[in-house]
Amino acid sequence: MVKIKKGSTRTAEIPTSSMADIAFLLLLFFLVATVIDVDTGIGLSLPEYVPPDEQITAEISKDRMAAILINENGDVLLNKEVIAIPQIRQTLIPRIESKIELPKNKKLIVSVKTDRKTNYNLYIQALDQVKAAYAEVKEAYSKTTFGVRMLDLNEEQMDELREKIPIIISIAEPESVK
Amino acid sequence: MKFQKKRAATKQEIPTASMPDIVFMLLLFFMVTTTLREVDILVQFKLPEAEAIEKIENKRLISYIYVGNNERIQLNDNIVQLEEVKDIMYKKRVELPNVIVSLRIDKNSSMGIVTDIQQELRKADARRINYSAMLKQ
Repeated sequence: MVKIKKGSTRTAEIPTSSMADIAFLLLLFFLVATVIDVDTGIGLSLPEYVPPDEQITAEISKDRMAAILINENGDVLLNKEVIAIPQIRQTLIPRIESKIELPKNKKLIVSVKTDRKTNYNLYIQALDQVKAAYAEVKEAYSKTTFGVRMLDLNEEQMDELREKIPIIISIAEPESVK
Repeated sequence: MKFQKKRAATKQEIPTASMPDIVFMLLLFFMVTTTLREVDILVQFKLPEAEAIEKIENKRLISYIYVGNNERIQLNDNIVQLEEVKDIMYKKRVELPNVIVSLRIDKNSSMGIVTDIQQELRKADARRINYSAMLKQ
């Protein structure tokens, strides 16, 4: 009997030696395409829009208000006194601190108002000062009350902090253009 | 007598069998973290600098408004007119209720245009904004 020779079994394999190279190529592409730039900036919540004829004006005691006015020449008024922008922080800190223990409706309101021709950069600098003042007060409060830095607070303590020192920044309603 | 050099019996090669796995893992990481939404910026602007800035936690919520040094407004991908901002943002806000609007405004702009945009945003009820700024060195 004749033996039938079987053809040598073919091995069907995908060559994997170049897989690493392919993976590296893809990796390189994503490495290059990834933009890890964090978006940083000054966060703010705008007030709800109310049509002009439905607006009501509420009296706010002067003690609660810190009104910052910036005119087109870059002069800054804080509660009707001329002030330089870097001084805003130092001026606000004691005022924020004095209101920590007061109830919610007595906290400080910072209002920032500008002209239409005011430089945007100045506005940001002023806002930055206000934010920095709040950050400093919060940090100090967190250290004295909880004994830790603000970053290490837990959720509950954070809520308490937010309640004690709420950041109320009011962007004044723009005046109608003449 | 022949001296035979003593050699350590262990192999002196770094095993490369697992290299593709490692590379794939890295690849996966970068694929997941990449947000492939390159926006062509059609306006020129320089961001202001500030100190008390914060990070925006969730990148997918952000809509960008660019204002260039010639007061042109770009909303996400297109140049728009001021009047269009409200409608576009309103639609965005319906899709994404807690949208954050990142305002990337040239630092030499005047507040007039900023106020106008803010008013439009208020009308569109997209009230969470963020003035984009670089960290002051």
